[in-house]
Amino acid sequence: MERRDFIRGAAALALPLSLNGYTAKALGLSPMMESLGEISTATDRILVIVQLSGGNDGINTVIPLDQYSTYMALRANIAIPQDKVLKLNAATGLHPAMTGMKSLYDSGRLVVVQGVTYPSPNQSHFRGTDIWMSGSGFNQYVNTGWAARYLDSQFPNYPVGYPNASMPDPLAIQISAVPSLLLRETQGPLGINLSNPDDFYNLVSGIKAGNTDPLPNNAAGKQIAYIRQIQEQSQQYAKGIKAAADKAKNMATYPARGQNTLADQLAIVARLIAGGLKTRVYVVSMGGFDTHANQVNAADKTQGAHATLLGRLSDAITVFQNDLKLLNVDKRVLGMTFSEFGRRVASNGASGTDHGTAAPQFVFGSLVQPGIIGANSSLTDLTSGNLKMVNDFRDVYGSILKQWFQVNTKEYSNVFSRDMISLPIIQGSATTDVATPSAPSVTGLDVSVRNYPNPCSTATTIEYNLPNAGNVSLRVFDMEGRQVAATQEQFQSAGTYNIPISVENFTDGAYVYRLQTERGVLSGKMLVAR
Amino acid sequence: MALIDTYSTPLDAKAAEHLLRRTMFGATRKDIAQLTGQTAVAAVQTLLADQPEPDAPIDPLTGQQWVTAAYDGTVEGQRYQSLRGWWVGQMVTQPISIREKMVLFWQNHFVSTRSTVGDTRYMYKQNVLLRQYALGNVKAFTKDITTDPAMLRYLNGNSNRVGAAQENYGRELQELFTIGKGAEIAPGNYTTYTEDDVRTAARVLTGWTDTAATITSTFTPNRHDTTDKIFSAAYSGTVIKGRTGADGVKELDDLLDMIFKQPDTAKNLCREFYRWFINYDITPDIEQNFIVPLADVLRSNNYEMKPVLTKMLTSQHFFDQNLRGCIIKTPLDLVVGTMRQLQVAPPDYKTQPSQYLYAMESLRNTAGQLQQDIMEQPNVAGWAAYYQEPSYYQMWINTATLPNRVSFANTVLNGINVNVGGMNYKTFVFDSVEYAKLFTNPEDPVKLIENFCEHFFAVDLIQAQKDRLLTDVLLPGLPSFEWTVEWNDYIKNSTNANKKSLIKIKLDNLIRYMIGLAEFQVY
Repeated sequence: MERRDFIRGAAALALPLSLNGYTAKALGLSPMMESLGEISTATDRILVIVQLSGGNDGINTVIPLDQYSTYMALRANIAIPQDKVLKLNAATGLHPAMTGMKSLYDSGRLVVVQGVTYPSPNQSHFRGTDIWMSGSGFNQYVNTGWAARYLDSQFPNYPVGYPNASMPDPLAIQISAVPSLLLRETQGPLGINLSNPDDFYNLVSGIKAGNTDPLPNNAAGKQIAYIRQIQEQSQQYAKGIKAAADKAKNMATYPARGQNTLADQLAIVARLIAGGLKTRVYVVSMGGFDTHANQVNAADKTQGAHATLLGRLSDAITVFQNDLKLLNVDKRVLGMTFSEFGRRVASNGASGTDHGTAAPQFVFGSLVQPGIIGANSSLTDLTSGNLKMVNDFRDVYGSILKQWFQVNTKEYSNVFSRDMISLPIIQGSATTDVATPSAPSVTGLDVSVRNYPNPCSTATTIEYNLPNAGNVSLRVFDMEGRQVAATQEQFQSAGTYNIPISVENFTDGAYVYRLQTERGVLSGKMLVAR
Repeated sequence: MALIDTYSTPLDAKAAEHLLRRTMFGATRKDIAQLTGQTAVAAVQTLLADQPEPDAPIDPLTGQQWVTAAYDGTVEGQRYQSLRGWWVGQMVTQPISIREKMVLFWQNHFVSTRSTVGDTRYMYKQNVLLRQYALGNVKAFTKDITTDPAMLRYLNGNSNRVGAAQENYGRELQELFTIGKGAEIAPGNYTTYTEDDVRTAARVLTGWTDTAATITSTFTPNRHDTTDKIFSAAYSGTVIKGRTGADGVKELDDLLDMIFKQPDTAKNLCREFYRWFINYDITPDIEQNFIVPLADVLRSNNYEMKPVLTKMLTSQHFFDQNLRGCIIKTPLDLVVGTMRQLQVAPPDYKTQPSQYLYAMESLRNTAGQLQQDIMEQPNVAGWAAYYQEPSYYQMWINTATLPNRVSFANTVLNGINVNVGGMNYKTFVFDSVEYAKLFTNPEDPVKLIENFCEHFFAVDLIQAQKDRLLTDVLLPGLPSFEWTVEWNDYIKNSTNANKKSLIKIKLDNLIRYMIGLAEFQVY
């Protein structure tokens, strides 16, 4: 079975949307959904993905001031003093090293997405990273990257027929010698890797490309074909990359080279964008976030290893954002951070933190809808000492695809075979949820969900049945994508469940509820009317 | 004919070279000649023979050993150069032996990195341990590495104490070092162990610290969790009785007894050996008919390495023609292997130790830029080429690394410049003319290319490719007899530098081109 088939097959199984006419009608075939197909894809917009390797301690990055005494009690040996936190609002603040990102927030160029993870989060670095990069569920094994699948939807058949007049440049560029799953598709990498545009050009000029000799008829043939393909790509794109890099100069002042690796990488990205490269996705990264020990200095907890990392992250993103503005390309660029997991709520005895689950993601750019999406994760309502999910990472990705790249539902379904709650990330975007309209019908699965009464005024009951035991959570969102009610994710045996939901505090209007099961998500729409 | 059956045909030159390439770094003409005609069993016996341990490295500036001296931040950098140069030197100057490939395997299996450990003396001490057990007993090895001072620092075992368990080592011991992670059959349940087992194992391992002054590890009973440790159904609910006082250390034996009793531990290790020596692709057939019987050998020999390596490396499957050339060269295979294959002589360690260490360090640096830096793996799982599905070995190759791999040909042809005490020296000087003389009939360009191809590539080139090497690369625009004329003219005037240079330029072009071919990147 081809890997592409695998993800589609797996996802189709995970999506019993079309099983139940009710949910399909509610979301999949609504006029709103249809109209998405009319919007043309934005072709001059760029996404910069910033990977924070190691599992960033989200709780010391975005600090829950509204639960400060609990925070202090659970991690006294690493707690940031309350008066040092850079307040975003009464409930939430940033680590004191993040002055740059605080100023981005104040100037409306930063979004904080709270408590991002997925159901049943994995605490292995490798598996966690794969999940975040592939955009899969905890129990799906997917060998392609979500960004690659997006690019594949825009540039079918790549690399056959590329470069061409409409896309003369690499689809994606990663500033690293280590290729990422993010950019890998079934047919191979959809992006190219480089450490430095000048060296890249000089080095590839020695490469022999265009080799069409027959391949050895054994297992070696596959590897040789792959190497030839990489030779070919290096050759094809080297000139354009060099020309773009030569054309533009950074206008903001970055840290001295070698002082901040992320800033070094982003400086190259800014040059390539301003130099006119049509590349759609850039990937940069910094490591060191696996802070099991000594993440703060005992004498001054605002200093130490984690403070240094966050200071670099903040400085790099800030100078990059300012550079883009000076280069007058800032409105075309959106940035997003991610890390494979957050860290345990309670600190360990070594002034560090062990692997955890949910953590905030940052989205930055001149066109973001600034603000904080979701409340702080609860520090007391935990699963095995770990935070519960507030937002699903695939909803962050999906919202970016829809609002930033303006993909239509068909293109969306090339990336995720999973319906989506829209989060308000980009200014002026309609935050409509996306359901994959064409999930093949699956027989033999009989998960279903409905609510009664509907419409409702004071309370409603959401009823669902599970054919198999598994982890389940139920969340209710308003049409802006804000979560308004949720049940704890929990393991439930097979059977029928009735969950009463009080809607007394809801304003009148439509709401979407989502039942996350191990087979995927079921959604329904309900109306509050008084 | 089962995959695991012994390959009984005497080794021809190609089979001998295949065995040498896979178990060492590159193959020299002499080593190929020595193994040709032997049986696989005899050849592997030679490769597995015990070797004397090398002397400890010296500081290239002072000429003194430093491995037991006090930590000194002012010389730490040159000590690290010394250690890395020394280690790469063991690879470059290896006798016929599998040892260096195994030492590297274990350093990538039980990863610790210098940048996290922060003290080169610790890394040397760990390297000695890797060498001690390279072909020894995996279970005893796992016990010793668990309390190795560098490992205690790298995975924070030194801060793991009762009441504040630090689960980093307890996790990697199971996920990466022994039993491996199976399918996640329920949240936190990885078939072979569970998240709770990670926490429980961490409690077993409480109590250890390291001491920098002596580079040793110490078990402190009052840091140890003395309660009973109850493992999940994955380990049949095994209970490790809590032990008090100095006896607390024995819980580690109990833990390893429990883990190594599981058939999955042997299978997981055998899959790693397979991906290191044979191929990445473990099909259901390979799993059932190769991995499982190998794992049986490993377990029934109480986790001794020599029987399982012998079984694997003398198997029909190991010598299968379909798998020749299916591994993409690691950066060290490329860098060290090419130097060895071309028989480029390094500086003499006894008389020129500084030049030697700096030249080796330069090779280390090249491999590091190609993303294989010894003692600096990107994370505890080691190099992604051995675990990242579905790419595996392809992880080494991308548009950033491939151009550097190809330009390594220039390093080979130009030699490596090192600076010692303000003076520049050229080391690793390669003479392509002398190299050509190692083959029969170098005056015949067709034979020369035929012989070069057989030695340079693990796969057969098609005739059209060989023809191009002759007409487009070695002798562009010239009839082939001109080579014979020029070569014979040089031989008659072998002290004439100009005549030699004419030949050398052509041979250098040929070798540069061959190293640039995709076929050179596999073995």
